[in-house]
Amino acid sequence: MTQTLHLTAPHPLEPFIQRLLRADALLPDSRTNVLEVVGILKSYGVVLDAYSKNLIYIADHQFLVLFPFFKYFNGKVTLPQLLRHWWHDRINFEYAEYCMKTMLWHGGGKMDDYLDSDDFLQRCEAAVSAKIKPNLPIRGLHGLFPDFLPEQVRQLVYYSALGQFWRVMSDLFIDLSDAYDAGTVTTIPQVVAFVKAGLVAAAANPITYAVEIDGVTYDLLPASAELTFLMDVAVPYVEAVFFRGTPFLGTVSYNAQANQISVDQGRFDYGALYADPLPIGGAGIPPTLLMQDMRHYLPDYLTAFYQAQGRGLDDVRVKICQSFQKSMFCVTSASLQGLLPYPADTQNPTEQATNHQFLARWMDRLATSRLDVVQL
Amino acid sequence: MLSAIILIPLVAALVLILWPGKLEAQTAKVISGLGLGLTLALVGLLATRFDLAVPGFQFEELLPWVEPLGLTYRLGLDGLSLPLIAVNSLLGMVALYISDPTLPRTRLYYVLLLVLNSAVAGAFLSANLLLFFIFYELELVPLYLLIAIWGGAKRGYAATKFLLYTALSGVLILGAFLGLVWLSGHSSFDYDSDLAAALPLAQQITLLVALLVGFGIKVPLFPFHTWLPDAHVEASTPVSVLLAGVLLKLGTYGLVRFGLGLLPEAWMALAPWLATWAVISVLYGSLAAIAQPDMKKMVAYSSIGHMGYVLLAAAAATPVSIVATVFQMISHGLISALLFLLVGVVYKTTGTRDLTVLRGLLNPERGLPFVGSLMILGVMASAGIPGMVGFISEFLVFRGSFLVFPVQTLLCMVGSGLTAVYFLLLVNRAFFGRLAIAPPSPTPQLDIVLPSVTWRDRTPALVLAALIIAFGLQPSWLARWSEHTTLGLYQPYERMALGKTPLTTLPVAMADTTLIAPALANSIRLDPSLTELTVESTPESKVEVYTP
Repeated sequence: MTQTLHLTAPHPLEPFIQRLLRADALLPDSRTNVLEVVGILKSYGVVLDAYSKNLIYIADHQFLVLFPFFKYFNGKVTLPQLLRHWWHDRINFEYAEYCMKTMLWHGGGKMDDYLDSDDFLQRCEAAVSAKIKPNLPIRGLHGLFPDFLPEQVRQLVYYSALGQFWRVMSDLFIDLSDAYDAGTVTTIPQVVAFVKAGLVAAAANPITYAVEIDGVTYDLLPASAELTFLMDVAVPYVEAVFFRGTPFLGTVSYNAQANQISVDQGRFDYGALYADPLPIGGAGIPPTLLMQDMRHYLPDYLTAFYQAQGRGLDDVRVKICQSFQKSMFCVTSASLQGLLPYPADTQNPTEQATNHQFLARWMDRLATSRLDVVQL
Repeated sequence: MLSAIILIPLVAALVLILWPGKLEAQTAKVISGLGLGLTLALVGLLATRFDLAVPGFQFEELLPWVEPLGLTYRLGLDGLSLPLIAVNSLLGMVALYISDPTLPRTRLYYVLLLVLNSAVAGAFLSANLLLFFIFYELELVPLYLLIAIWGGAKRGYAATKFLLYTALSGVLILGAFLGLVWLSGHSSFDYDSDLAAALPLAQQITLLVALLVGFGIKVPLFPFHTWLPDAHVEASTPVSVLLAGVLLKLGTYGLVRFGLGLLPEAWMALAPWLATWAVISVLYGSLAAIAQPDMKKMVAYSSIGHMGYVLLAAAAATPVSIVATVFQMISHGLISALLFLLVGVVYKTTGTRDLTVLRGLLNPERGLPFVGSLMILGVMASAGIPGMVGFISEFLVFRGSFLVFPVQTLLCMVGSGLTAVYFLLLVNRAFFGRLAIAPPSPTPQLDIVLPSVTWRDRTPALVLAALIIAFGLQPSWLARWSEHTTLGLYQPYERMALGKTPLTTLPVAMADTTLIAPALANSIRLDPSLTELTVESTPESKVEVYTP
């Protein structure tokens, strides 16, 4: 009698792979986890709505404005608004720009490729020429540094793309909250299924961008580029913001000169799934901005939940970050399930193996994330 | 009126002892608070009636007691004792306020606190050497018990060590007092600055050495310091506050009052050695502090260093440096009390004082940002950063001592630099970086949640911090009480002020520093004959005596 030896050890995160394959989630299902995730996604939805509107406003109306002093005002510059802005009674739109720049820097997806294409450069040049036509110094600048303004336009494309992505996500999270309030979503797997359904429904939405200069419309991201919501914006967004991120002093202690930061962007792991919530509250730390924004829109039940824990509302921003991280593991679960090469319940061994390999690659990257902490 | 400062806490203690039935902790605290509050108010009242221009004792009280022994109940308050009495009352209140209401044997605890306060006040107010000794010994008992009963794991060892050291200190002081009175042929132990005037220098030096060792143990100065870190580490936070803030000052007060005040000639003869001893103490304390992994031990060793400044200033014995001794005593009292208070809060919150473990306590959401900010303020004050009382006191110490003992002063200034080193190490290790209160664990851990520090815990530290800044910005609020007394302490200087000593025999430093003191506070009214004089110290320099 012989025994078959299994020479390949199971993946260290095999239980999580199995969870995803059976339409479960990376986050354990519990009543408090559902409360935290849905509650925080509601406030995130409200904040994303504001971020989205502002990003689209900047892309559409602040096109190549060299000194965009009022870019956060959405075109409504009044004295009371200025006073509120200076008093910092406002949304931290800087966080949205941080995410946009992270996406721009990490790239990925077909959009990144398209922005380097000749087609885009021609469209870009046309729009730039029209914009700077009456501005002699800038024309001179453009002649001297021909790559500068196209790069600004690429950034504006990302403003618009992220704005469009968050528009969908904002509505999705508000709908999720409504479903929770109505009692139709009560478990973490249901949350993940709801998000996955929303992502799949919007997957094929086209991502386009056009600006109007002197009455002429310039298509910078035409429909013909065939850029879509899920693969060309959502996936690069998850990659850039959830996984890679950027190392900020205050959140990560590093010495770049000692090569403690990888020169390979692909090996970055400073994203939301890896973020340490404890530094939240420190000045100049981008996640702090998001947590500050979300705290204004917490549903009452979540505020009461936080109030009853530890320091109450004194450390609410850290608590929001922890809940937010849990919710992002749910969104990641939904994304990975949505991106599976084959249906999760396939009975074909080859397809099962392919699915398994696909998830194992992602789990390799999650090995150093906060996945183990959110299980506690 | 002075007796009331001693008696009110004792009466409060008696009420606690005689309280019928079970005494609730809160009730005991309120009664003790009333006693100490009344005492503090009385000290405030005395301060308003205190005549700044009188260098000697005021509000004197005299009651014959055991006259054949020369023991009288004689109390007096002067510019040297008034600030220390005030600090004793204030820190007594602070210690009471921060005392844990859930302590076992609360009745005994509060009684001991009150007796300790009373005994220390008695020692500072005594104008009779034997009476001082009685109070000096009396405070050992409650302090010993406070450490031995409510201390940490090794409290028995620490308390016994403290008792042995300070008992030896008492024996030496008593021996010196007895020798002083008997050799001088007096029949009374009443404080008299001329008590040793007729004694030969050798006898004076012998007596002074006994006093130096006796009070050196209490201060403590190297190498008599080893009881202090143990006592601090094992003592509870309120006791540490009192120990560092007030009780060590009994040693420095004794050095200035009895060493310099009674034996000035011997003091001047030994002054260079004393200054060198101060340097050793300062550098040893500072270097030892750098090596400490325990936050409380680090602050304890810093006390050894900072008390060395008092010895340096007293050794220099210039008018400015003697004022500086008072400044340094008060400054160290407030700053070390603040630091021990904050270390206590850190320990209470995190359960550790280990600097190899603690990290990131300044974390704005889950750490102790307020405590950390006050700690940074406290260590800055201790390191002599301008704007706080630590700067004023150290500046005065160095300014007053430099011209007399330049090398020793410069070396002590190195000690001041070392203060910044070890306290920055403390702040950097414990308060910066990622929040941690335990070594890294291989298993996943929930994010740390430290309990928040209530305003109740913050308030006493805030009060001390406010005083540290207030006296740093307005040193005259402190100097005004002591200037005349400290000027009177140095006899040759007083004789000069009265025109009995030729001005040409004055050291340059003295003439020079005469001009500094008035700049600190109200003008000093010197003898009218001085206002027309000019000191010709060197052919190049012409120093004019300050004219109000």
